[in-house]
Amino acid sequence: MTQKTIVKHRSSHLGMHASERIYQVIIGLLLALIASTMILPFLYVIIISFTDATAYVSGVFYLWPKKWSTEAYTLILRGQGFLNALKASCFITFVGTPINVCANAGLAYMLSKDDLVGGKLINRLVMFTMLFGAGMIPNFINIRNLGLINNWFANILPGACGAWTVMVMKSFFSELPKDLEEAAEVDGCGTLRMFFQIVLPLSLAMLATFTLFALVSYWNCYFSAIMYLTDTTKMPLQVYLQKIVLTTDISEVVDIQDDLRNKVPQEVMRMASLVVVVFPILCIYPFMQKYFAKGVMVGAVKG
Amino acid sequence: MTTIQKQPSIIRRSSIRTRLRKHAWLYLLGLPGMLILLFFNYLPMGSLIMAFQDYDPWKGLLNSPFVGFKHFERLFNDKKFYLMLWNTLKISFLSLLTFPAPIILALLLNEVRSAAYKKTIQTAVYLPHFLSWTIVVSLTFFLLSSEQGLVNKIIVATGGKARRFLFDKSIIYLIIVIQSVWKGVGWGSIVYLAAIAGIDQQLYEAARLDGASKLQCILHITLPCILPTVAVMLILKMGSIISVDFEQVLLMTNALVKEKLEVFEVFIYQNGVKSGSTQFSYTTAIGMFKSVVSTILVIVTNKIVTSNGMRGII
Repeated sequence: MTQKTIVKHRSSHLGMHASERIYQVIIGLLLALIASTMILPFLYVIIISFTDATAYVSGVFYLWPKKWSTEAYTLILRGQGFLNALKASCFITFVGTPINVCANAGLAYMLSKDDLVGGKLINRLVMFTMLFGAGMIPNFINIRNLGLINNWFANILPGACGAWTVMVMKSFFSELPKDLEEAAEVDGCGTLRMFFQIVLPLSLAMLATFTLFALVSYWNCYFSAIMYLTDTTKMPLQVYLQKIVLTTDISEVVDIQDDLRNKVPQEVMRMASLVVVVFPILCIYPFMQKYFAKGVMVGAVKG
Repeated sequence: MTTIQKQPSIIRRSSIRTRLRKHAWLYLLGLPGMLILLFFNYLPMGSLIMAFQDYDPWKGLLNSPFVGFKHFERLFNDKKFYLMLWNTLKISFLSLLTFPAPIILALLLNEVRSAAYKKTIQTAVYLPHFLSWTIVVSLTFFLLSSEQGLVNKIIVATGGKARRFLFDKSIIYLIIVIQSVWKGVGWGSIVYLAAIAGIDQQLYEAARLDGASKLQCILHITLPCILPTVAVMLILKMGSIISVDFEQVLLMTNALVKEKLEVFEVFIYQNGVKSGSTQFSYTTAIGMFKSVVSTILVIVTNKIVTSNGMRGII
């Protein structure tokens, strides 16, 4: 910080202030242009999704509707299709995330002890899963043999323990200060108490990061759903959205008693369903930002 | 991850039995993770035998007849195989061309003085990484589809004729690459921002005193200093050259652009999973070929990285 102010001071001395200003504006505009490509599509979708049916004309370009309406949202949120998909997504996300975090953290803590018997071998076996995967068909047959077809655990368990996560968590645990653990050991603190009462409270920021990662990846689960689920009423929200956007008649997907076609244009319905599906991600995203700032993410990305 | 060999400790290690007893609860903590890996990563590997059998679900894995390398021979004589390989390489090569994008973004972000503005921009550019491909493809549809797409609405409003972008074989790769950059550029810039943050600020000060311009500072200080990171990322990217983002390709496929987007996983999914068990052996062989090649690529690229004194991933 001080170095920056020194530089600033010096440049103003040399009379570079004006050119520096122009430079900052140009850089700022370029970045604003890049960032707006990430934000504007959402704004467009959100605005159209609130357009009233009477103000909507298909195929005509406009950015600001003459009349607003939440009709599309009421129809979607009341539809049986949405409720089924929401149930599936919530189950996969909120049952999967704790399993995911516990499995990864437990295994990582175990491997962080260097004097563990067989630790090296287990470490190698974990790493190997990062290098080589059996492939789609063997995985599919495996899930079938385990009787998990049409079971949401088929979407939860295969991704619940990942070599990369275990390795990042492991290096985090082995960098924790050893004195606390040693002192606790002298006081007769057992392994489990040590893990839950000393190690985990020290790792909250890291755990929060991986919890958010798990939440997002389960919420975004799409392929494992179309692979392992056959019952259409069990499909999660990503599949629901994909169907709504890509089918010509959406009333079957929305699944509601009223006749949709006369009420709300399909396009508005489609955009509203995208907003509904992406909404939870947008809600937890600010919390994730907080943890980028803590630097955990950088360490994680660097591996 | 390369683990640094610990110096042999002065205190003698206790015997295996005492260590086992001491760590009994530790194994319990690691058990769920180990079981998950065993059941969902190692157990499926047994089914790879299918690639060397004429698998019959009624006979099972143990009683199906062995046929040696029959399926691999069929694979290497299959015109479709070369089409899939070629498509994969084309998509990978095109996305390799966009490799500098996150570096440029990181350089731009680094030049911003206002911390608040920088953070706002970062918030926006990291967001797409957390969106599913379903969302990204839906957004693409809303922008590019023939009747409802925003781009076509603008074209029509300005007196042009609507185009069917999503069904156009000549630009489908362009769309795919733009989607990937859009989704990944912000997230990809984090690693370069970290590398830039690690550069000694005195270098810039000295250069500034010598009258170096901004551009000279970037070209002669920032870029050389982050070059090791760039090299590692580039080499690691080469390791995944035989893989494409499968969910993206599957969602973007339609009847008209099918031949351009036929890649291994899409073929395996459509012919193996969707059309029943008759093709299990052949599609497993295709998957195995891909797994083996990408494993070799990862090992080789990782060797290159570590032998140059840098930290690899294994």
